[in-house]
Amino acid sequence: MAGRRRRIKSTKERLLSVLDDLEVLSRELIEMLALSRSQKLPQPGEDTQILELLVQRDKEFQELMEVAQQQGKVHQEMQLLEKEVEKRDSDIQQLQKQLKEAEHILATAVYQAKEKLKSIEKARKGSISSEEIIKYAHRISASNAVCAPLNWVPGDPRRPYPTDLEMRSGMLGHMANLPSNGMNGHLPGDALAAGRLPDVLTPHYPWQPSDVSVGMLPPHHGNDFGLEPPGHNKENEDDVEAMSTDSSSSSSDSD
Amino acid sequence: MPAKNRFQSELEFVQCLANPNYLNFLAQRGFLRDRPFINYLKYLLYWKEPEYAKFLKYPHCLHMLELLQYEHFRKELVNAQCAKFIDEQQLLHWQHYSRKRTRLQQALAEQQQAPQQPPQHGNASAK
Repeated sequence: MAGRRRRIKSTKERLLSVLDDLEVLSRELIEMLALSRSQKLPQPGEDTQILELLVQRDKEFQELMEVAQQQGKVHQEMQLLEKEVEKRDSDIQQLQKQLKEAEHILATAVYQAKEKLKSIEKARKGSISSEEIIKYAHRISASNAVCAPLNWVPGDPRRPYPTDLEMRSGMLGHMANLPSNGMNGHLPGDALAAGRLPDVLTPHYPWQPSDVSVGMLPPHHGNDFGLEPPGHNKENEDDVEAMSTDSSSSSSDSD
Repeated sequence: MPAKNRFQSELEFVQCLANPNYLNFLAQRGFLRDRPFINYLKYLLYWKEPEYAKFLKYPHCLHMLELLQYEHFRKELVNAQCAKFIDEQQLLHWQHYSRKRTRLQQALAEQQQAPQQPPQHGNASAK
């Protein structure tokens, strides 16, 4: 065997081959009948043979026609089913589209809700009682710190910032230390030596609220801003005294 | 230095920053170039928090403090003209509300005068 695969013949091919056979057989039969007129039957059994073959072929033909009919029906069913499948397929695709849309809408809604929650949290963190705000507003307005007095004219010494006088009469002024070295506290000896620290406790101007600030502490911080220790008490006093609006006098720094 | 005193001194100092002349003074003496001082200015930003800010009588100082974080601003403050300009603008801003209030009062006064004149024509000409 050469390993050749036997090809399955389709119904159409088989039908056609049977038809061919029928054609050949009927032709032979007719030829034989035509010959039998002129000469004697050469093979006595041949006509029966051919007839039998004919009948056989005819039977085959009928069978094949049945098969073809069945196949046609099956084919029709297949087409119907295919249509159904297509319909279902499009249904599924539509569902998919709708699901995607729904997901998108929900995702947007969730995102916006999250943003809203974030802003609520932010607002809550920064919330201050209205009473406090009003108190504070009253405080800064009553002292003309943010709004000029209605009868203010140029020449009026009042200002939206602490004036020289106020600065000097404050705690810092009394300590006679350079305000820049706010952290000079690590050398209390200086202030004590100056003998002024205890005098500080009565502020002259209401911008140092000792009553309200009882218990207030600055944020904890090491005393290290990279400072050099202040040794310039005397010079500082000069600076404070000399502080005025237009002077640009430069005192010599003794570093 | 006890913490309470430190609180008070820092409260005073940060409010001094509202005074542009004082800023000019500091600039001319080179404090605004001093690295530890600059660090201190950054540290002072805690006064922006509400629990500390409520003690400030001169809130302008917070704006100045914010500006002082920028090197350009610190450099400019050496210039006396600059400080003078800031001072003028600050005063004008300070007077803004009282000017507005005066205008409102004037407008209100004018409004109250107007409806007192009775309309003359209507009924007489209907005859």
